[in-house]
Amino acid sequence: MSVPTARPSITHRLAALNALPETPAREEAILAALEDEAPAVRERAIRLAARYLEPAVLGELVADEGNANRRNAAITALERQGPYALQHLQVMLRQENTDVVMFALQVIARIGDPAAAPAVVPLVDHPDLNVAQSAVEALGQLHNSEAIPTLLGLLERELWLQLAAIDALGAIGDPRAVGPLMALVPDSVVAEPAVQALQRLAVPESLEPLLARLPAITERSLRDSLLLAIGVVVDLHPDPEPIAAGFRDELLADSETGLRPYLEQLLRAHCTTGYGGALVGADGRDEAGLLRAAAALVVVAQLEPLYPLVLARIAEAEGAEWAETLFRQHPEGLRATLEGLLASDDPRVRRGALLSASLEKRDLSLVLPHLSDPQASVRAAACRALGQIGAAESAPLLVERLRGGEPVEQAAAAQALALLPGSALQELESCLLPSSSEAIKVRALEVLGNLPTEMFESQILELTRANSATLRRAALRAAAQLPGARAEVALIRALADRNQPVQLEALELLVRRGGTQATTTLVALLSAGDSLRYHVIRALGHLQAPEATGKLLSLYEECGPHERLEILWALIRIAPPELWEFLEARLAEPETEGRRVAAYGMAEHAQRDQLPRLIALAADPDWNVRNEAARGLGRLGGGEVQPTLLTLVRDVEPIVARTARKALERLPGSATRVLE
Amino acid sequence: MTPMDAAEWKLLTDLIQQRFGLTFDGVRTNILESRLRPRLRELHLQSTREYYHYLCFHPDREAEFARLPLLITNNETYFFRESNQFDILVRHVVPERRREIKTRPFRMLSAGCSSGEEAYSAVIAFQNAGLELSGVRWEVDACDLNPLRIAQARSATYDMTSLRACDEEARRRYFIETGGRFQLRERHRKGVRFFETNLASPNGTFGWARYDAILCRNMLIYFSDEAFDSLIGLFARSLCPGGYLLLGHSESLLDRPSPFEPVSLGNGIVYRKTQPD
Repeated sequence: MSVPTARPSITHRLAALNALPETPAREEAILAALEDEAPAVRERAIRLAARYLEPAVLGELVADEGNANRRNAAITALERQGPYALQHLQVMLRQENTDVVMFALQVIARIGDPAAAPAVVPLVDHPDLNVAQSAVEALGQLHNSEAIPTLLGLLERELWLQLAAIDALGAIGDPRAVGPLMALVPDSVVAEPAVQALQRLAVPESLEPLLARLPAITERSLRDSLLLAIGVVVDLHPDPEPIAAGFRDELLADSETGLRPYLEQLLRAHCTTGYGGALVGADGRDEAGLLRAAAALVVVAQLEPLYPLVLARIAEAEGAEWAETLFRQHPEGLRATLEGLLASDDPRVRRGALLSASLEKRDLSLVLPHLSDPQASVRAAACRALGQIGAAESAPLLVERLRGGEPVEQAAAAQALALLPGSALQELESCLLPSSSEAIKVRALEVLGNLPTEMFESQILELTRANSATLRRAALRAAAQLPGARAEVALIRALADRNQPVQLEALELLVRRGGTQATTTLVALLSAGDSLRYHVIRALGHLQAPEATGKLLSLYEECGPHERLEILWALIRIAPPELWEFLEARLAEPETEGRRVAAYGMAEHAQRDQLPRLIALAADPDWNVRNEAARGLGRLGGGEVQPTLLTLVRDVEPIVARTARKALERLPGSATRVLE
Repeated sequence: MTPMDAAEWKLLTDLIQQRFGLTFDGVRTNILESRLRPRLRELHLQSTREYYHYLCFHPDREAEFARLPLLITNNETYFFRESNQFDILVRHVVPERRREIKTRPFRMLSAGCSSGEEAYSAVIAFQNAGLELSGVRWEVDACDLNPLRIAQARSATYDMTSLRACDEEARRRYFIETGGRFQLRERHRKGVRFFETNLASPNGTFGWARYDAILCRNMLIYFSDEAFDSLIGLFARSLCPGGYLLLGHSESLLDRPSPFEPVSLGNGIVYRKTQPD
């Protein structure tokens, strides 16, 4: 099979489309390109159609059954036009051709402007089932809560309408739907979709009825759906424990089909990372979701016999944070059983209990023995637990772990020490002695770099001059926490360090610390044309140092393009009185990126009297400049920005159109009303 | 690092597409973001926009562009991946080209070769089929845009991941194990040349030989329509009349015009150049 190749290449066809002049032939060329075989050319034509063809023209293409490619392209273009197309889409809803009505409903749903809902509601009773179904789906996507009674009425209708109504009720999220949806569980063919809708609703009122249904359901798929819904509702419920505890005995029922074996199986399930980062089981079920839901239920209903299974998950890479958080949010059950769990033979359970329990000073005697646990991971967890308790008397023991523990213990001990009262840090003195190893000194400096302190000033400043760059960096981080001029001088001096990562670290620390002396030094450093200057310019911007303005402005002409852009950013952050004039000058230059950043600055800082400038930028040939204009117009708001935004919602660049649509949505009164 | 917004995503991915022809349509923002985040931290940059400007203007931008493909592309490859295609080469393509390769070597290109596993697998397949004994000589060229991958390919040293489709016998026959790494035996490296090139550069040529076969597997999926079009043209120019293009299982020329015709060989579809010179 040989294919002719005489046709212009995709590149040529795209170039021809991009160069279309503003003549009547443009519309014809766009219409032809909507049928192009290459997706890239069709996509370009859709963008141009959204920008230059009126909704009525596109509506006619939707009615053309003979050309499916063009019909699909027209539907996409109408959707891209968004609010601009809404008025005509409502006209399309009144047409006799049911396909046109159905497609119009789908586009209205995707545009998502709630103002279109009144025109959609009557169509749920349309004699054509496809149209009625599309109308129901649209009401869901428009989140129209006024349609709730209509949708509830549809739960008695044909199966397809019932399914669409259930889905829409879930999407709208109104608690009035809970009772009618629960009534469909478990004895109806739509029980599972109803549970899924309840999961989307996730309102507190649904927790008790969902839990009441769970023990009675043995069919695996429905049981999974129910548990997933419970998991989400528990997550969002302000106080799920009293309700869940009421079902404790039923949930622990140990019969063959009971819930306990089911929950145990889920908590033991091996999850693997699937495509896109989701956790999926071997049979494609949402194993990760089920695991989390099962764990949530175990914790809020205080199903103590199952705690070890949840705590063991904490030892696994994919389970740690959320399981710890669960126990922290609902601490009572774990507190009551902590002693037994810490005595478990399974080190994962001991570790999980130490990491998840909400501990107080009276628990010291429970935790301290675990600093001698045979497993390093448990000893590290004990260090973290001591940090949580925050008792000063644990400092010597933590310092001991810092000096002599395995790396995992050292890291945990360093974190824990940073959480103790400042006075306890005196214990670190031995770590900073010249005789201590570099690794120990770095660990101790890590502790001091995490909290403001006045201790060990001389040792820290001495170490900022150490031979090792690692040690100097750690010492600088600690120095940044010290008050006073000596520390600031040490940081400033490090800007001239022989090692560039140390220089950059010092620069970042100075920015974080602020201070006038630092600014003066940084402004002086602008005169040195070395590779650090690029970072110094950025630092002055982050410091929002007005005293740097003059030097930055004078430097602009003489430096390289990468520094020029940073000067632009820095001045936008500083926002001196000269800024607007400076931005205007950049916009008059041919350099694209400079113009783009200048437009960003105008969008950020424009006042109402500068609105005409933003409106002019909305017609700029560069998409990024138009995008900034849309953002700036949205920020300023007001009736006078609407016409420009309504043009920008049809922009050939979808990002600009989206920005404009967001800006329009923030204006009082929807765009539809404006059009009407 | 501040989260990447849609405009920053477009700026950066347009730049990458322009430079390398790689497209990120359908790729989630957070995947690209997570791959770039450590690099931004190293450069002390706080946003994708800053990184984009670094790539556009910084004096070190060329070095950064050389490093970028390693960050953003999937270099997933291993010895004897989709081994059916090596059978097609040995059983169908080489025999069909017998007349043309009477007086010269059979020339093959592994395009987007990553660390060289595909090129070396082809050589092993030729050797196992006894082509040397029947008087066939070969030259295998292999190219990639990533200089670090090319360096690894030249060193022919791999870890176990690259040998996942090799059984113990194959590992013993083809490799020498040293300290948990596997060095391909010298005899399987003969006749293979690696070079660095950007397949997406406009109007490019390989500048070496005209090939009897080109293997370009699981790479076109990353290319934009325009770059795809241009690369297929480049392959057509680089193949002898009647030469073959072998693509990955998930790639096809069936839904687009091209100077190739699909041919069913063995258990697979390959593409034969239809254009005369």
